[in-house]
Amino acid sequence: MASSGRPIYLNLFKIKLPVTGIISIFHRVTGVLLFLFIPISLYYLQLSLQGERQFEQITYLMVEPLSRFIILLFIWSFIHHLFTGIRFLLIDIDLFLEKKSARSSAWVVVVIELITMAIIIKGLFL
Amino acid sequence: MTMVALEGLRPWLLQRLTALYMVGYTLYSVIYWTVVNTLSYSNWQRWLADEINMVLLGLFYLSLLIHAWVGIRDVLLDYIKPLLLRLILLFLVAGSLMGAAIWMMKILLSVNT
Repeated sequence: MASSGRPIYLNLFKIKLPVTGIISIFHRVTGVLLFLFIPISLYYLQLSLQGERQFEQITYLMVEPLSRFIILLFIWSFIHHLFTGIRFLLIDIDLFLEKKSARSSAWVVVVIELITMAIIIKGLFL
Repeated sequence: MTMVALEGLRPWLLQRLTALYMVGYTLYSVIYWTVVNTLSYSNWQRWLADEINMVLLGLFYLSLLIHAWVGIRDVLLDYIKPLLLRLILLFLVAGSLMGAAIWMMKILLSVNT
């Protein structure tokens, strides 16, 4: 690596990532988060099928601030991973390969993500 | 194409195919539970008692576990360089995903039809 003569500069706070890089690294971060959510999702799937009372119990999660935050984190992770993932699939079929369309498609993903989150938050909490 | 190139293609393809299935399933269930039906215990229970929906949800989880395996494997290969630690973590991830698969099947099979 060093012998190739390329500069190594890994101060993460000084690297300025373009929007494409930011949504890409968060695709990875949210992927890991969603992996950690797998057992939790199975627990609640099981609970939801155990009976009327247990099913209702899950809706209480919307009341407590901490569980509210965790649910929002899960939903955002899912939404972000889903939409950036769809963009990556489109890149696989050779779309958005130029710098300009890569950036604009990344911004489209961010906007769609924000709109979807707004709709979900409105539906769940308001 | 050389054998080495083909070796990387299989997980790559699995990652894409499972992603496509999950996108389709997400679309189906979101449309179903917002437009077609309303979420309540009895509707939810009856929905999953239908074999087709039980199998489709099972396939969703199976896709998720395969997708997670390829993804987490990539992450571990990128960031964990010591070989022993890498192997231990890969082993733990694979084991917990297989455990999740067994748990998922138990849940789906216990739905009263």
